[in-house]
Amino acid sequence: MNKPMRIILVIGGLFLAGVFGAAQAAELVLWHAYRGAEKNAIEKVAKLYESRTAGTKVTTLAIPYDAYADKITASVPRGKGPDVFIYAQDRLGGWIESGKTVEPIGFFMDEATQQQFLPGMMDAMTYKGTVFGLPLNYKSITLIYNKALVKTPPKTSTEMVKLAKSLTHADSGRYGLAYWYTNFYFHAALMNAFGGSVFDKNGKLVLNSKETVASIKQMMKWYKQDGIMPSEPSETLVSSMFNEGKVAMVFNGPWFIGEISPSIDFGLAMLPVIDEAGKKPMRPWLTIEGAYISASSKQKEAAYDFAKFLASEEAGLILALEGRQLHTNAAIYKDKRITGDVVLNAFHDQLNSAEPMPNRAEMTMVWSPATTAMNKVVKGNATPEAAIKEASKMVQESINALRKGR
Amino acid sequence: MTISEHLKRSALPGMAVAMLFALVLGSWLFGAEMADLHLQHRQRLAVLQANALVLAVADTDAAGTRKRVGEMQKLEPRIESVIIVAGPQLLASTRPGDGAPRQLKREEKPLYDLSNLIRTARETNRGEEVVRKKTIQIDEMPSGRLVVTLPYLSGGEFAGILQMQFDGSGYPRAAGDTFPFPILLLIAALLAGAALRMQTQKKVDPAKLIALVAFLLIVLFYQQQQIGRLEQVVKQDNRAIATQYLASAEQLDRLGYLPLLRDPAGVNHWDTDDYERPRGVIAADGSIAEEAETKQLARRAGFIRPILWAIDLFAVAVLLFFLYGYAGRAYAAFREHIYAYIYVAPAMIGMLVLVFFPFSYGITLAFTDTTLFNESLPFLDRLIGWGNFKAILGDFNIYQDTAEGIIWNYQNFYWTLMVTVVWTITNVVIGVSFGFILAMVLNTEGLRGKAIYRVLLILPWAIPNYITALVWRGMFHPQFGVINQVLQMFGLEPVAWFDGVISSFLTGVATNGWLSFPFMMVVILGALQSIPKEMYEAAEVEGASRWQRLRHITLPLLKPTLIPAIVLSVVWTFNMFNIIFLVSGGEPSGANEILVTKAYKIAFEQYQYAYAAAYSTVIFMILLVYGFFQTRITKATESF
Repeated sequence: MNKPMRIILVIGGLFLAGVFGAAQAAELVLWHAYRGAEKNAIEKVAKLYESRTAGTKVTTLAIPYDAYADKITASVPRGKGPDVFIYAQDRLGGWIESGKTVEPIGFFMDEATQQQFLPGMMDAMTYKGTVFGLPLNYKSITLIYNKALVKTPPKTSTEMVKLAKSLTHADSGRYGLAYWYTNFYFHAALMNAFGGSVFDKNGKLVLNSKETVASIKQMMKWYKQDGIMPSEPSETLVSSMFNEGKVAMVFNGPWFIGEISPSIDFGLAMLPVIDEAGKKPMRPWLTIEGAYISASSKQKEAAYDFAKFLASEEAGLILALEGRQLHTNAAIYKDKRITGDVVLNAFHDQLNSAEPMPNRAEMTMVWSPATTAMNKVVKGNATPEAAIKEASKMVQESINALRKGR
Repeated sequence: MTISEHLKRSALPGMAVAMLFALVLGSWLFGAEMADLHLQHRQRLAVLQANALVLAVADTDAAGTRKRVGEMQKLEPRIESVIIVAGPQLLASTRPGDGAPRQLKREEKPLYDLSNLIRTARETNRGEEVVRKKTIQIDEMPSGRLVVTLPYLSGGEFAGILQMQFDGSGYPRAAGDTFPFPILLLIAALLAGAALRMQTQKKVDPAKLIALVAFLLIVLFYQQQQIGRLEQVVKQDNRAIATQYLASAEQLDRLGYLPLLRDPAGVNHWDTDDYERPRGVIAADGSIAEEAETKQLARRAGFIRPILWAIDLFAVAVLLFFLYGYAGRAYAAFREHIYAYIYVAPAMIGMLVLVFFPFSYGITLAFTDTTLFNESLPFLDRLIGWGNFKAILGDFNIYQDTAEGIIWNYQNFYWTLMVTVVWTITNVVIGVSFGFILAMVLNTEGLRGKAIYRVLLILPWAIPNYITALVWRGMFHPQFGVINQVLQMFGLEPVAWFDGVISSFLTGVATNGWLSFPFMMVVILGALQSIPKEMYEAAEVEGASRWQRLRHITLPLLKPTLIPAIVLSVVWTFNMFNIIFLVSGGEPSGANEILVTKAYKIAFEQYQYAYAAAYSTVIFMILLVYGFFQTRITKATESF
């Protein structure tokens, strides 16, 4: 046998060995959209899982967020894509309705696994009574204040308005309170306090209710009558005003913490109780990211086992401490390193009064009309009643077009 | 006589191709319908038994359920096995060695999931008060077995699923296909075609007319006859199922379960569709409800007829293509330039896969009612015809005349069309005039630093428009945007750009103007430099003023370059998705949406895929009509 021939044979043999070797060891593919610290943390957890289960290889793939959902929608129903993927609950309903994307995992899940999570987390992963994912982390808004301006954070709306009024000097551009109140996501905290909601438990649209209208009126009272909030709110406006020390209190989420300038000494507290709503607390919406098993995965049990590990206390600590995520596993909030962390703790406290954002596919149709309605009211172009009625009509039309009888 | 001459003279080839076309498509359609009827027949028989089982065990406990299921299975040998799953438990099973009741095994997860799926489907149908989810699932096995899964009820409440394996083989097929019949028709058509000689010169030619009439007569006769056959099969099936129903009922009567199964109101709950709704064709006493049957037939015919019309129309088009000699000419051209066709073939195949396939898929989708919620249904179940186009073009709710003045309905198609047209015209006018002025300036003789200016002016075009759009969006920010900052510097009030219909429109126009003038400038500059200087010199000698030189030399000589550029830029601007989507996002309230961004939002925010496809098709039609005018205009300018 001549030399080149031998080399070819050796290379071919190595290649074949590689192919068979790879086929023997189970390989799980995880898709996520994390960057920076979150990405490092999830990769560390994957490595840890590999070391625990001999022979299992976990490949993590970070997908740019903008393309992520479409990539799942396009690849998974056609038998491609990952074994496990991480996404927030807002797209869950749509994927389940169109089918062949998310595997139901209720059958795998035992009682102990269900019980390990913080309250409300499993609700976000449950669609029409069937469990489709393991919750991993949550986000909600809370009260963030400038310690230089606010000594003790207000507990009730009356206290808050009183305090905010004393800190507001509209002429010099100083306000007591700021949040993106025209954005329906931020407004939902107030709407929930009044007992309003978007869908009832049967999925019927109940946006147009006197509770929702009352919550908008409350927001308008803060803005117009009390004058404690700046006009034209937006994400950038809120953060720049807070960083310039021009606003004392904001309602914002964990993503805001990284934007606060180092010169500001900030504190966190729960959103206030609304006296006008019968002393009910504000209840912000929770966005909950979960790990889902792909319906086209060839190794669903192994994938579930890995997803379960992601949701465990051990992985939770890594994801929380290194990835700065608010993990859903209740046990980690007893750990000293977490209890000593002011930020993680504050958002954990807010969880006592929060509720998961609806995971129905129809929710996508709500955002645009609802936010338009809020803007109209704030600009004085419509009464709260008329604006909500119109928005509700528009959403209902889109929903009817989707839910066609057979 | 050469082939191409033959193609021109004889009606035979045309008749043959068109008739083959109509018959092949027709027999495919009727074959599919017949197969569907056959399938439905088998499925109805299985569902009949499955429903009887569910009704018989509805009022008893687990032990009673096992007993009754066992008894009923013995009566009907075609029921091979029955299992009942309640939550994570296998409640009852007639499969040997299954040992029910027991927990489901690991590999039986699909049963658990199916149970949840059917429960959810029932709850969804009830909760939304719209029946849209199947609650009876039928799986066909390759062996001819049917697996029917349906809700198992206990005390009127959903308690789990009942799955029955049914031997569906051995049912007589509907009367065999009359195979020679279409062949006979084809021969008749060929004979008619062979008998006819056409005169190529004459526009009105009796031979062509006769060919057309003969063709239509044969095709319509064939289709009518086939529809008749389908109706006959539907009627036969109904009677066969009624007979089976009576036979099974009689057997159950002996077990003493029949009172449970008979509905006092006379509704037959055995023969249901996949949504558990009684079909109503067979009454509780086994008689046929004529009225319901007529409706059933009309529904099926109503589905087939439009497809037949489409086939007929297409076949006639093919026939005329041949009769009027286009086929002959096409063939002659093909023979003459055979190498050219071979050379373009790879490109054409690429086009076919990358352009025509997605394109025709989009158009087909427009005739369905596909949404996120029903995209998994079979294609034919989603077909609805012209409904989407009627909804888009037939909605004239453009404005409301209220006491406070006119309120425009920004969601309406015609409003969006109007915005799109205004958007296109404004942008092209701005692009051309700025481009023209700058090109004139750059064309000045002896201008120093010309190269630098040129590079600077082309820059907006070179930067990806995605980035430019986001930069402009930032500049229009009401609070921090540079434009409002400048306004405030001059003591003016800041403008909330995205809140007003006009101001929001202007943000898009400004951005797109910025992006579009460099292209026009480059095109015009190139054309200007190709105008011979002597012409201007001669005009100057003759005493022509600057304006006259512009009007009578520059503009006419620019026209041949300018018009194609304008035509192109109209199409680009009409579909300028990026700028609208990224800068104003159609604000306020979707008033500044153009047609493409609107179509995008319908598809990906409201999940109405088919409606969005119809919307896109309408956009395509508009551009197609524009394209026809464009070719006319371009032709008209070619003489310059």
